[in-house]
Amino acid sequence: MSNFFAIIELMTDRSYLGEFELMILLTVLHLGEEAYGVPISRELEAHRGRSVSVGSVYAALERLEAKGLVTSSLGDPTPERGGKAKRFFQVTKEGLRQVRATRRVLTRLWQTLPDLKLEVQLEGK
Amino acid sequence: MIRRNPPRVATWILEHFALADRNEALAGDLLEEFRAGRSNRWYWRQVVSAIAIGSLRGTMGRLDVLLFALFWSMLTPAWLLAFVHLEQRFSLEQRLWQMDWPWSTVCDLGLLLAANLIFTWAGIALYLIPHLSITKNLRLRALVKGLLASVPVLVTLWAALIVLPMRFISQSRPADRLASIPMSSSRITRIEPLQVTRVPYEETWIAQYGPRAVVHEDSALKAVADFRISTMFVRLPFFLCVVFALWGTAPKSARTGRIAM
Repeated sequence: MSNFFAIIELMTDRSYLGEFELMILLTVLHLGEEAYGVPISRELEAHRGRSVSVGSVYAALERLEAKGLVTSSLGDPTPERGGKAKRFFQVTKEGLRQVRATRRVLTRLWQTLPDLKLEVQLEGK
Repeated sequence: MIRRNPPRVATWILEHFALADRNEALAGDLLEEFRAGRSNRWYWRQVVSAIAIGSLRGTMGRLDVLLFALFWSMLTPAWLLAFVHLEQRFSLEQRLWQMDWPWSTVCDLGLLLAANLIFTWAGIALYLIPHLSITKNLRLRALVKGLLASVPVLVTLWAALIVLPMRFISQSRPADRLASIPMSSSRITRIEPLQVTRVPYEETWIAQYGPRAVVHEDSALKAVADFRISTMFVRLPFFLCVVFALWGTAPKSARTGRIAM
């Protein structure tokens, strides 16, 4: 019976970084101290070229926080936001480590594709 | 400058249905974006999306509860079959039959309710005991609340999902007879002067809508593997009742459990 719960726990858990989660981590890193829901969503929209659900951004941030990759803190409530506080996010050391590790793996994988490597080099110029 | 406000209904829905502990930040973000020039349509889309994501994450955080309730409710026909055998072995119906009204009705319904609750509570306990050994974290208040709440929930659901459709939707029984299905071994046949007559057990409410009426198979295995619509209807109240009782009781998964936002 205890295996049943362990299996369920594993089914709902993901230890690796998903594509969207990685994008969010990079955006939070880029924004620094100004990383809260609105600028994160705007940055993501600008880079992805399509609209982003603020709810999905928070859902991903919640997952990242549960994994210990980001931390959050509440700011002061402001009248412009209807008296609601901003929640600021910050990447932890573990988050930074995982971003670097994912980058290393992705770079290696890209380099195994000769045609795409050439394409990437041309784009760089 | 006039400050724009988002659609009130959408905001109300967002505040009441979408969110848990992060709603303040999300609601503030949506308001800030709206006042920066986003449209009503954008705001509505964000609210619907937040509700969908929150509900999905809430459900995924309780996937173990849903799967367990599904498993337990599958056993319902076997339990009812066992209850029927037990009832026959100890001649419970005959003993109840000999009682005067209203005790015959009270005991009939009480026995059925007790049997259903024993099964439901056994399921709840079976879920919680191993869960406790893993998480070492149980909200006792929520458990008591869940157990107590399961009583009216089960009665209401049983009546709504089994008795009422059988009584009002069934085409096989003539309407005039449906109107006079007795709740006990006695039937009031005249008001003035009051005249009470005994009715055969087969015509009583309990015989027509009790465990005997809903179990079609004669072996426990066959009963569990019975997927007829009427049997699925019997399982549904137990499934919902176990889900309802366990939903707020067991802690959610540490990683995925907290509803986002």
